Amino acid sequence: MIELKNISITLNDNVILDDVTLNIEMGMNTIVLGPSGAGKSSILKIILGLWKPDNGEIIFEGKNVCKMTDDEILQLRKKVGIVFQGNALFDSLTVAENILYFLPGKKKLSENELKYKIEELLSFVNLSGTENLYPEELSGGMKKRVAIARALAFNPQVVLFDEPTTGLDPINTESILELIEKLKQNGTTSVVVTHILDDAIEVGDNFIVINEGKIVEAGSLEKILRSKNPFVNEFFKRFIEENHNPFIRISKEVNK
Amino acid sequence: MIFGLQEFSLLIKDIFAHLGSVKDNWTETIQEMYLIGTKSFFLIFLGGLFIGIILAIETGHQLETFGATAWIAKTVSLGMVRELGPVIAGLLLAARTGAKNTSELGAMQLSEQIDALRAFGASPVEKLVIPRTIAALVMFLPLTLIADIVGILGGMLVSNQTFHSDISVFWNTAVTSLKMKDLFVGFLKPIFFGFFIATISCYFGLTTKGGTTGLGKNTINAVVYSSALILVIDFIFTKVVWELL
Repeated sequence: MIELKNISITLNDNVILDDVTLNIEMGMNTIVLGPSGAGKSSILKIILGLWKPDNGEIIFEGKNVCKMTDDEILQLRKKVGIVFQGNALFDSLTVAENILYFLPGKKKLSENELKYKIEELLSFVNLSGTENLYPEELSGGMKKRVAIARALAFNPQVVLFDEPTTGLDPINTESILELIEKLKQNGTTSVVVTHILDDAIEVGDNFIVINEGKIVEAGSLEKILRSKNPFVNEFFKRFIEENHNPFIRISKEVNK
Repeated sequence: MIFGLQEFSLLIKDIFAHLGSVKDNWTETIQEMYLIGTKSFFLIFLGGLFIGIILAIETGHQLETFGATAWIAKTVSLGMVRELGPVIAGLLLAARTGAKNTSELGAMQLSEQIDALRAFGASPVEKLVIPRTIAALVMFLPLTLIADIVGILGGMLVSNQTFHSDISVFWNTAVTSLKMKDLFVGFLKPIFFGFFIATISCYFGLTTKGGTTGLGKNTINAVVYSSALILVIDFIFTKVVWELL
C-alpha cells in the first residue's frame, strides 16, 4: 500500500495540496478525479519523490519517501513507472531508444536480449514494428502507448498515469484504457489522474475526488455517487443524469 | 536575483560533485562537442577573419601617418590573441551555444522531459548539463585559436594589400611579438568563457517556466547574462590577472 499522510505543499504562495491523506491499494486501479488545477498531478509527483511536500509523509513499502536518501529514491523510481500527460518522449531518440534509455543494466544485455525486450514491450502496447520511428512520426495515441511501454521497461509494481486519455480520439482512448486493465490483470497497480469521468469509471476500482488541493471524497464508485458533498454532486451530475436517462442507459448496455 | 544566484551556485556545486559521471555519458559529450565545434566553425572563422581585417585597417591608417606600419603586425597579433579573439569567439558562442542550450533544455523542461529523466532515475545534471559543460570547456579553446589565427592572417593579407607590408615580415613580427604570458592569458579566457556560457545557459534552460513566452525570455536572459559576464571576466583578466603575472 502507498500511504499519503497529511501532505501539504505550497508553490509560489499557491496552496497546491492541503492536508491530503489517502491510501492506494496495491493491485487495484486508483483514480484521482478533479477539475484542472485541483492538484491531481502534484500527487503523482509527490509519490515519485519529484516534489518534496512541506508537511506530511509518503509511505511506500513501509518507508517514508520524504526521508529517503538519493539512492533509495533511485530504487523507488525503479518500482514506480510514470506516463506523463505530454508523454515526455525524447524527440531525438527513436521509439526503441526512448524505451531503452532508462533501462537499468542494459549494458550487460546482448543485442538480441535488448531486441527481445523492445519487441515484448511494443507488442504489449500493440505497436510492434515501430521501433525505428521517431516520436514526430507517431500519432498522439501511438506516442501515449510508447510512453506506457517506456514506463513498463523496469517491470514496475506501480504505474502512474497523468491524464492518459486527454486529447485522444475514442478509439485510442479505448486502447489506452484496455492497456490499464491489462496491467491490472498482470498484478500492476495503476494510479490514474484524470478529469474524464467516463474513462475513470471504466477502469477505476477506487476513487479519490480532489478540489482546490483538498480531498473531498474517497472510496468506491457507489460511495462517491452517494456522497452529499456539493462539489462531488456537481462533478458527477452529468454521469448521474445519463444513468438515470433510460435511452442513454439502454444504449450503453446494448453497446456492452 | 539572490534566489537565482543561490540556485545557480547549487547547480555549479552539483556539476563538480558529479563530474565523474562524464565517463558514462561519452556519447552525449562527443555529440555536444561536434555541435559546438563543427557547427560553430564557420561563424568563428568569419568573426575572427573580419575582426582581424578591421583591426589591421583601423590601426594601419593611424600608424601610417607616423610611418609606423610595421607595428600593424604587433597590434593585430597581440590584439587578437589577448583580447579580441577570445572575446569575439566568446560572444559569438554565447549567442550560438548559449541560445541552443537554453532553448533545448527549456523545451525539455516545458514538455516534462526533464521530469521524465528524474522520474526514471537519471540526473538531468549528469545527462544534460555536464556533457554540455565539458564540451564547451574542450571546444572553446580550439575555436578561439582558430579565431586568433584567422584574424592574424586576415590582418596580414589586408596589411599587404593596403599598406604594402611584406607578408613574411608581418608573420614573423606577429609571432615573435607574442610572449608566453600573452598566450597563457589568451588561452585561459576561453576556458572560463566556455564554463560560464554552458552553465548559465543550462541554468536558464532548466529553470524555464511559463510556456513559450518563458522560454523566449530565458533564452534572451541566457545570452545577455553570458555576454555580460564574458566582458566582466575579460576585464578581470586584463586588469587583475595580467598585472599579477
